[in-house]
Amino acid sequence: MTQITEEISATNPNLDPGTWVDQYGDYLYRFALARIKGQAVAEDLVQETFLAALHGRKSFKGHSTVKTWLTAILKHKIVDYLRKKNREQAIDDIDTVTQTVEGFYHNSGTWKIPPGKWDLDPSKIYEQHEFMNTLFKCLSELPGRLSKVFMLREMEGLSTKEICNALQVSSTNSWVMLYRARAYLRRCLETFWFNNTKEENR
Amino acid sequence: MSHWMFNCKEVSRRVSESMDHRLPLYQRMLIRMHLLMCKYCTRFRHQLLLLREFCRSPQMAEDFLDPTVVLPPDARERIRQALKSSSP
Repeated sequence: MTQITEEISATNPNLDPGTWVDQYGDYLYRFALARIKGQAVAEDLVQETFLAALHGRKSFKGHSTVKTWLTAILKHKIVDYLRKKNREQAIDDIDTVTQTVEGFYHNSGTWKIPPGKWDLDPSKIYEQHEFMNTLFKCLSELPGRLSKVFMLREMEGLSTKEICNALQVSSTNSWVMLYRARAYLRRCLETFWFNNTKEENR
Repeated sequence: MSHWMFNCKEVSRRVSESMDHRLPLYQRMLIRMHLLMCKYCTRFRHQLLLLREFCRSPQMAEDFLDPTVVLPPDARERIRQALKSSSP
């Protein structure tokens, strides 16, 4: 595997870090600035992204474009930054998330907090943008491990097998983690985004 | 509900699991039966799929990004130096 990636980096000029800032700097900066407030923070996140990419070049498997790969790293950086910033809201341990998710149901297993109706029009760019920001906020509330599993699976499209290898967890464990992350995020999005938009519309 | 049927909690967990690997046939059938009767679990499933679709859509609100925003020159230079000094 390592050999393959080294070959890719040797033949793929895009993996030359010297060209990264010029090729992707503006895009990543724009992306960061759309998700967080503050130019200085956005600049720092872009720098951290490039540095992480530099040190993790061997993990780039060439499945995606360099741009997609860098964006994925940036997304993790954004969530980590938001988590640190909102310390008081972030949940530190997975047990708390488990309890929250358990609390969505009665002891009998029927819904206690049933899923509400979502009015999301995916064709509206602004709504997409706002939805995305809320998703990042919600991701930052999750313990790092859970948000990471969710992002690797749902944003980056890794298989659970790949996730198990990367994070050293069993398949069963990864499915449970994904379930909790999804159930928590679903509820969080509903609370912060759909309720707000509904009230505004009325 | 009969003991052999899944309740909402079991169904929602398995609906999520079915997004990660193929469930055994009997479980898929039990889930389908439950979904026919339960609008909340149907909604749950629909929303998890929507969330995935959204997260994986290539643009993912990228169209909203302002093309006039550029990395300031001093930051650009700083980042370039940082990359150079930590290059192996």
